[in-house]
Amino acid sequence: MKVPALKVDDLSVWFDTGSGRIPIVDGISFSINPGDATGLVGESGSGKTMTANAILGLLPGAGMAASANAIEINGKDISGLSATAMRAVLGRDIAMVFQQPATALDPVFTIGQQIDAVYRRHLGGSKSEVRQATLDALDSVGFSQAEDIASAYPHQLSGGMRQLSMIAMAMVCKPAVVIADEPTTALDNSTRTLILQQLKNLQSRHQTAILFISHDLSVVSQICRDVMVMYCGRLVETTDCESLFSHARHPYSAGLLSCIPQISDKRPAPISSIPGQIPNATALPPGCHFAARCNRCEPHCLESVPKLDFENGRGAACFRPL
Amino acid sequence: MSKPDKTMATPLLDIRKLSLRYNNQKHLAVDRVSLTIKRGSSLGLVGASGAGKSSIARAIVRLIEPDSGEVRFNGRNIGTMDSQQLAEVRQRIQLVFQDPVVSLSPKRTVEQTLLEPLQHFSIGDTNDRKNRIREILATVGLQDNALGRFPHQFSSGQQQRIAIARALVTNPDLLIADEAVSSLDVSIQAQILRLLQELQSKFGISILFISHDLAVIRQIADNVAVMYQGQLLEQSPADQFFSQPAHPYSKTLLAIAKGTPPASWPGKQWQLERGHEMDDTSSSCVFAGFCPDKMDVCTQKEPALRDIQYNKQHTLDQHCVKCHLYEEVKTNDH
Repeated sequence: MKVPALKVDDLSVWFDTGSGRIPIVDGISFSINPGDATGLVGESGSGKTMTANAILGLLPGAGMAASANAIEINGKDISGLSATAMRAVLGRDIAMVFQQPATALDPVFTIGQQIDAVYRRHLGGSKSEVRQATLDALDSVGFSQAEDIASAYPHQLSGGMRQLSMIAMAMVCKPAVVIADEPTTALDNSTRTLILQQLKNLQSRHQTAILFISHDLSVVSQICRDVMVMYCGRLVETTDCESLFSHARHPYSAGLLSCIPQISDKRPAPISSIPGQIPNATALPPGCHFAARCNRCEPHCLESVPKLDFENGRGAACFRPL
Repeated sequence: MSKPDKTMATPLLDIRKLSLRYNNQKHLAVDRVSLTIKRGSSLGLVGASGAGKSSIARAIVRLIEPDSGEVRFNGRNIGTMDSQQLAEVRQRIQLVFQDPVVSLSPKRTVEQTLLEPLQHFSIGDTNDRKNRIREILATVGLQDNALGRFPHQFSSGQQQRIAIARALVTNPDLLIADEAVSSLDVSIQAQILRLLQELQSKFGISILFISHDLAVIRQIADNVAVMYQGQLLEQSPADQFFSQPAHPYSKTLLAIAKGTPPASWPGKQWQLERGHEMDDTSSSCVFAGFCPDKMDVCTQKEPALRDIQYNKQHTLDQHCVKCHLYEEVKTNDH
């Protein structure tokens, strides 16, 4: 059996407050095989970024705690590692690309210096070997003049170029897993397409497993084979993109899909939207979290929590799937 | 000065050859752009970051003074107005920005935020104002209990509704929405787009809808204008634009938005700081460097913006393109 590049088993994140626990991520499990890309989709506040932070061991923060049965990279559990031990893993085995490259990059160092530092820390080598690895990484994300980019400071680059540099930095040690958290959200359409192309190239070349976090299903479908839909900290549907777009089983997934504006030759009918809004995390309903906004809701849905139910490898957490 | 029967024909907003330059930069942020918006219709303005879309929005209400050109609102030149006339016009033109977190004051309740424009423009008495605020809150789908709350107590979609309510409270003729849905989740974006669609059909408000996202523009716009590096490259009725875009840049944008970017794109690799070392395009087409259909003439001569629709009766719905492919007389004719 293939060992998954990333395996997450029963991950939870919560806030501890005086009046009890506020769940942010509620017992999610998934795995990604080498060379596969899986999308994690949901609205702001659904727990996507917290999932990423928990996997990377960046939690707990203030008043926040996380637990998991296991978080494995190539079969090696990293969930119990100390902060020091984790430093050897971050950037080497698992790397992250953030939404805002402008704040993720250090303004006082050149792009080259920053990528050098990552490579030197994990793999070492002479000055020229390190720089060569940096230039190779920049070259591999599509920069034609890698040396110019390496000697540039972040403010000299456009938003798209900064994000490509971040991807080069994430890939410089050829990690098994890359988590990309809304990497293209701040960019315009044309730049986004380019970045996605480069990510795809790197993924197939190095057999990297990618966890691609986005609120935009259409972006996820461009790069991922599989997709997980998250709502209020729970996975409500896990399937492949093709099936999701042709036949979403969870009413929330179907609602999200209908919200995507389409380009048609004729003027489209008014766009449909999901009624209501995400429930407050401090007062989540006892049953299905989506019940109040769902047009298929039954009394049963308000009381019991639906489990992810698999049918031909496609999971939906719903008592009345479509 | 204007004859009564002309009021219907006068466009609500008429921008003529507007040019604008920031500080002492070599290149124009907005380069001789002409646009028209008819009363009750909406114009989608599309282009990549830095194309000059927001600069136009700001120049319309004179938040920035243009270097040359005219902005006419209801036939009157905004550029020559005194401060009192300008205040009147600003009441009729309102803006909604991309990020509601930044554009709403965190220290003001929703009621204070909505009251402010009414007080500023001295609209109505205390009672009128209260009623108007409640009415506008209902229009954007919020309840009365929102009035006493602060922006941070709302979700981002609700905050954008408040920003739209603030813009609508003076009952403007023109709403300028500058990337107003770009930072929102698709589900929230859909709710705001629906709201704008309702405002169009119920109140006949005109919208200048600025976005880099063609799919979103498709939902709102009657006409589409495409900008690239400060220049207007194409303006066309939306149905025509989305079925038969004329300019190679428009075609590229549309292909990318549909998820099928042309193989030749981008023609050049990434370059450092394009803004500061852009090629001199004064005697060529601005898009020539990336154009899949580039001809010799494209780097020798700037194309003219011309009407490619033969039916010229509806001058406001004309389909204009700035491209040598559509020149009537080709220069290489021998």
